[in-house]
Amino acid sequence: MDKFRPDTFLPLTPVAFEILLALADGERHGYSILQEVESRSGGTVALHAGTLYRALARLLESDLIEECKTSPDPANQDERRRYYGLTSRGIAVARAEVVRLEGQLRAARTRRLLKGARA
Amino acid sequence: MNAPRRSPIAEALFSLGLLAYPRAFRARFGAEMRDDFRRTRTVGTNPSGTLGTLGTLLSNGLKERAGAARRWAFFPNHTPHLYEPSGRHFMFWDTLRADIRHTLRLAVKTPVFTSLTIVALALGIGATSAIFAVVNGVLLRPMPYRDDGRLVNLWSFNTSENRPRNPISPANFLDFQKMNTTLDGLEGYFTFVTPTQLVTDSGTEVAYSVFVTSNMFNMLGRTAATGRTFTMGEESGVVVLSDGYWRRRFGADAAVIGKTLSVSGQTLQVIGIMPPDFVFPYAGMLGPSGFTRVTGVDMWLPIAFSGPMAVNNRMLSQSGQIVRNVHWFGAIGRLKAGVSAEQAEADMMTIAAQLEQAYPATNKGWRATVVRSIDQSVGTIRPALMILLAGIAFVLVMASVNVANLLLARSIAREKELATRAALGAGRARLARQLLTESVLFALAGGLVGMAVMSWTLRGLIALAPADLPRISEVSVDWRVLLAAGLTTMLTGVLVGLLPALSSASVSPQASLQDGSCGTAGGALRRRARAGLVVAEVALAVAITTGAVLLLRSFVSVTNVNPGFDTSHLLTWQMNVPQRLTTPTDRLAFYRDFFARIETLPGVVSVGGTTRVPLGSTSVTTSVQIEGRPVPAAERPEVQFRRAMHNYFAAMGIPIRRGRTFDPDDGPTAPPVAVINETMARRLFPGQEPIGQHVRTGPGATGPWTTIVGVIGDIRHGGLEEEPQPELYINYLQGPPVSPFIVVRTTADPALMTETIRAEARRIDKNLPVYDLRTMSMLRSESVSTRRFILLIVGAFGVLALGLAAIGVYGVMSLVVSERTREVGVRLALGAEPSQLLRMIVMQAARLAGIGVAVGVVAALPLAPLLDSQLYGIRSLDPLTFIAVPFVLMTIATLAALVPARKAMLVDPLTALRIE
Repeated sequence: MDKFRPDTFLPLTPVAFEILLALADGERHGYSILQEVESRSGGTVALHAGTLYRALARLLESDLIEECKTSPDPANQDERRRYYGLTSRGIAVARAEVVRLEGQLRAARTRRLLKGARA
Repeated sequence: MNAPRRSPIAEALFSLGLLAYPRAFRARFGAEMRDDFRRTRTVGTNPSGTLGTLGTLLSNGLKERAGAARRWAFFPNHTPHLYEPSGRHFMFWDTLRADIRHTLRLAVKTPVFTSLTIVALALGIGATSAIFAVVNGVLLRPMPYRDDGRLVNLWSFNTSENRPRNPISPANFLDFQKMNTTLDGLEGYFTFVTPTQLVTDSGTEVAYSVFVTSNMFNMLGRTAATGRTFTMGEESGVVVLSDGYWRRRFGADAAVIGKTLSVSGQTLQVIGIMPPDFVFPYAGMLGPSGFTRVTGVDMWLPIAFSGPMAVNNRMLSQSGQIVRNVHWFGAIGRLKAGVSAEQAEADMMTIAAQLEQAYPATNKGWRATVVRSIDQSVGTIRPALMILLAGIAFVLVMASVNVANLLLARSIAREKELATRAALGAGRARLARQLLTESVLFALAGGLVGMAVMSWTLRGLIALAPADLPRISEVSVDWRVLLAAGLTTMLTGVLVGLLPALSSASVSPQASLQDGSCGTAGGALRRRARAGLVVAEVALAVAITTGAVLLLRSFVSVTNVNPGFDTSHLLTWQMNVPQRLTTPTDRLAFYRDFFARIETLPGVVSVGGTTRVPLGSTSVTTSVQIEGRPVPAAERPEVQFRRAMHNYFAAMGIPIRRGRTFDPDDGPTAPPVAVINETMARRLFPGQEPIGQHVRTGPGATGPWTTIVGVIGDIRHGGLEEEPQPELYINYLQGPPVSPFIVVRTTADPALMTETIRAEARRIDKNLPVYDLRTMSMLRSESVSTRRFILLIVGAFGVLALGLAAIGVYGVMSLVVSERTREVGVRLALGAEPSQLLRMIVMQAARLAGIGVAVGVVAALPLAPLLDSQLYGIRSLDPLTFIAVPFVLMTIATLAALVPARKAMLVDPLTALRIE
């Protein structure tokens, strides 16, 4: 089998990156991902179920996320829900994306694009 | 958390929207998505409202579906695990892929079977599509006008002579235009094509013109491709060219716009060129009278209602009024939105009644008729095309039946394969589906090859079609044709595969796999299916052949009609005398010289001329007043009006029945004389002596009385199948025409004389355009060209049907024989005579064919009258046809069965029994 190369997945689509971000601090079910994305962005990013689950399907196919057999929080177990979590590949890809974005951000700063934008 | 406020409607909509996703996706995520949707609604965090959500859902679903399809098609071995083959959800596609692979393998293994099947289907689908393309181009496509469905033609209805589609007089046209309340515009045109004279430096030539009212192009909703069309009220000095004429005559030079042309004595400026697809008028919109049969238009001229051009076109009466008593206008109008043709007709009827009251002298008995323009243009050809469509449908079904038969035969050969599959767990539906996939694939291949067949057939059809078939030049392949071809292909595929699929699905694996049982398990059903196919095929063949024979017999009776004159060794053409000859005296002098010179040409027997040549021109009528029979002008009988020139009757070979024809003494100053035909003598002077009677012609009928001096035989003027009309001839010396038809009787083949004639005409005068130069046999042949075209196609259908029926019977009987080899062997071993076996097999075929023939005849009996519009001289239930066709079919079926039957006779009992 070929060696796994995270950079072949870059750049990630914004939706995919948001999902990976949302899963970074633990396993979540679909609706929880929706809520997390919305609350973290302060309502500016609105994710539709239709978009979310297509992205989830792609991420599952690529083994960047996986479906978890058990709920992380036994007290709040919801039988109908499936929980998703990052795989090691997923973490690697998310890191690679962060590095890529950082590089872009640095470049933007040196060109003073962000002057005044950061208060 | 609040108790969920559930909204069943929104949820139902969401569930519907989910259907956009592939099934596998739905199965995996559907429940979660629905749940999320419900929650977002209850907590009110729904970002963009239910509609927005649904939109995103739909677009995402379709994208997912497209992605899945793309991956399935291009990366079948790289299917992501969501859509893994092992999952039940993608079974459909996997099965399909497996079936297709299997079919292709089989197809390559049996190349003869495969190519035969594909060729049979390709011929059927291709020919059907070609015929449909013709029907589509002629009947279904919009005419080249804006919103053509609202266009209607208006005619005068002459109630006294029951002519519902009579042209209108100019004054009446103007009244209809002004007074109607149901039309958004009504425009007029001359109901004939005028051979106008285009004078150039190199001589005079003829250009075919149509006069239209100045707003015609606007009303039709068309503009010029280059330049402009007439402006409202522009009545003279301008001309619009057709695209064809512009290319032919001016080499598509755009600089011709603005140049002037000398047309029939007027100087006209070219202001525009119409687009190539523009046609006006269609031949069906022209009236029965006119100067030429040519219907292609070179140029359009505006109609003038006043001024010198109006005088030229005889638009004005002697008192300067616009003419009301002569009818030569056509009118086409646009229905107001929501108005039907019937309402428009009622409106026009009211106006006609008012005009009848206001002008009783000219309008008594004249009503109005409104016809949809598409019917006006192609109404005459519609029944014939429908017959072709029905015929080809029959042939297609027969071809399909043959292919079904082949597939059925093969499914028998494959019985063990299918049984093995069934034994291994394939369900009936699964087996049937595989066979259906096979037949649909065959049909698709047939359809693809069929497109090539269609393109050739279509080219052939257009080349063979008579030029006067309306709209034939507009026939081409468009989306409708392709759609129809696609549907035909799929339908054929399913129909062809249905029977084999059904009969194979009932295979019993146990029986079939038992050693020695040579495929007799699914036998009963399949035998019945096969018998049904033979019966159907023979029945269809009977129906088609009956139609073809009926058409053939009427074609023969039309061509055998005696036209009343001798069509062999006759050459005819039309010409316009030079324009400078404006007075009758000048023209007479010209004609004297002309006839003398043509007469002395080597090979010329006699020469004459007329104003309307039979089979080759339109007609013109006049009303006659008979001395001693005072009737109101509007009730005078109408007769065909001609002038005879020089030795016309002798040159044509028209017999003289009584009295005499014209002689040189009947000159301009002599008392006026006339010759009539037998029909006119019989109708107008029943039981009387017509010779010596006095008549006057024309609407005014105020001139001196004309004496009838002779009666000639009847001739067929409009066509061979048209009954002779009353005809009246006057002598050209007492009224010399300007654009006569000349006829020359020759000693040798008249076609060889054409160059001599053209050269002599140029020598006589360079401004003497000679056109429509043809032999009378050509005219006679052209007069039946549409009939011949239809017959040719239906005849081809008939031959195809007979061939298909023969192949079908042969195929089925071969199968029967090979299936019964063992039985035959046993019979022979037990002492049966080979000839008995032969009879047994042939009788079986004959029985099936007999049932087929009976069904076919019963089906043909009610269908035959549909042909009535195309029949001449025979009845649709022609006994000869209905006896001969079944007889021929029985013979063919029996002969087709003989070959396999002989094979059965030669069976060696030892071998047959050893097959065990």
